[in-house]
Amino acid sequence: MNNLCTDIGHMSLTKYGEELCGDMVEVIEQGDDDYVVVLADGLGSGVKANILSTLTSKIISTMIANNMPLEMCVDTIAKTLPICSVRGVAYSTFTIVRIIDNKEAEIAQYDNPHVILLRDGKNLVYPETAAEIDGKMIYKSKISLKLNDTLIFTSDGAVYAGIGENMNFGWQRDQIIEFMEEYYRPDFTAKTLSSLLLDQCDKLYGGKPGDDTTVCAVKIRERKSVNLLMGPPRDPADVNKMMSLFFGKNGKHIVCGGTTSTLAAEFLGKEVKTDLKYLDPEIPPIAEIDGVDLTTEGVITMSRVLEYAKSYLNDDDIYADWSVRADGASQIARILFQEATDINFFVGTAINPAHQNPNLPINFNIKMQLVTELSEYLKKMGKRIKVSYF
Amino acid sequence: MKVVVCIGSSCHLKGSREVVEKLQNLINDNNLKDKVTLSGKFCMGNCQNGVSVTVDGELFSVSPDTVEDFFKTNVLDRLS
Repeated sequence: MNNLCTDIGHMSLTKYGEELCGDMVEVIEQGDDDYVVVLADGLGSGVKANILSTLTSKIISTMIANNMPLEMCVDTIAKTLPICSVRGVAYSTFTIVRIIDNKEAEIAQYDNPHVILLRDGKNLVYPETAAEIDGKMIYKSKISLKLNDTLIFTSDGAVYAGIGENMNFGWQRDQIIEFMEEYYRPDFTAKTLSSLLLDQCDKLYGGKPGDDTTVCAVKIRERKSVNLLMGPPRDPADVNKMMSLFFGKNGKHIVCGGTTSTLAAEFLGKEVKTDLKYLDPEIPPIAEIDGVDLTTEGVITMSRVLEYAKSYLNDDDIYADWSVRADGASQIARILFQEATDINFFVGTAINPAHQNPNLPINFNIKMQLVTELSEYLKKMGKRIKVSYF
Repeated sequence: MKVVVCIGSSCHLKGSREVVEKLQNLINDNNLKDKVTLSGKFCMGNCQNGVSVTVDGELFSVSPDTVEDFFKTNVLDRLS
């Protein structure tokens, strides 16, 4: 175990007019620091392609999850994939990326556009060895990775983007490299990088993709802890215990809630300085406490964070409001979604009698539900979550 | 004179923002910027009767509809 972690993001566009995407991405976590990402692109589009790419990615991921060596998986897939009777070629192409201990990548690729490696934002050519397994040419690589190294791989829909529409021959892998080099920023997450590229493909296709298009980014980044405190403890005698555990943790500290921030300030022997700037009319202003990175109101702000989390997971939402705005909810969203890799929630379960008014949308159950739901979404973003109740 | 408006969850839902905006306007309109400081506070522990506002420590319950009367009685009249 080291201080690094692997950030994985992927997004797909479905061919215009089709219901199902014929590309499939499977991510398998093996222990804490090993990941296998499989991107499979079924030949053709629609249901047939969807079934084939599902088959391919599932076979590979299941075998790898059972600790079969990469070579054997490739061999099995290469031998199993039938040759299409109409087209005379194999059904599904694939890219397998295995990250070991966050510092080594093993890549095996069959007929997908080759994986792009960005080191410090610049393209790096890496060695490949070609091996023919059952008449199929598989390219394998072993690369040792550094902090911020980013692997970007796509289905062939990405390199066909714009063909016949905006460009005569679509844009090629080289243009994709140029585009990514230009837009790369060290603080972008894998998810942001993949949506940037996918968005550009969509633009080139004029919003009507001519093929299923998938972009996957795998980025090596530093682990970063964030601690979030919300709500006073049920037993007032536990305030000190809760605060010392919270402030004893490494990383950023976020305090949510009026009473909670007062208690945190008392514990630190500081003052809560409240601002009256309504940057978003629906979100109460933020405050400042010396020694706390961010202080906000509780339930209303966190409800908004939950909405942002939902849309971040579902949509290709790179220019979302929260990524630029300064209100409390947007700031929390940026810290939790983009910066953090490990999040510790300290949740107080005291009931605020004034909130138990049926006319107010902020009662106790809603608050507890908020934390549960938000944790689920954050886990889906690949974060490690710990929730402690007081 | 110090006027503090509660901007905690309950008061926020009951209209803190409107109260703050109206008070800011009233203070400007009456040229009281030097005499009255307006600030916010997270939760004054009087959530049931929000929006809670204190004038030099004395607690009042104000709603967006009663801001003007409140301002007249508890700010203007006291200053004059």
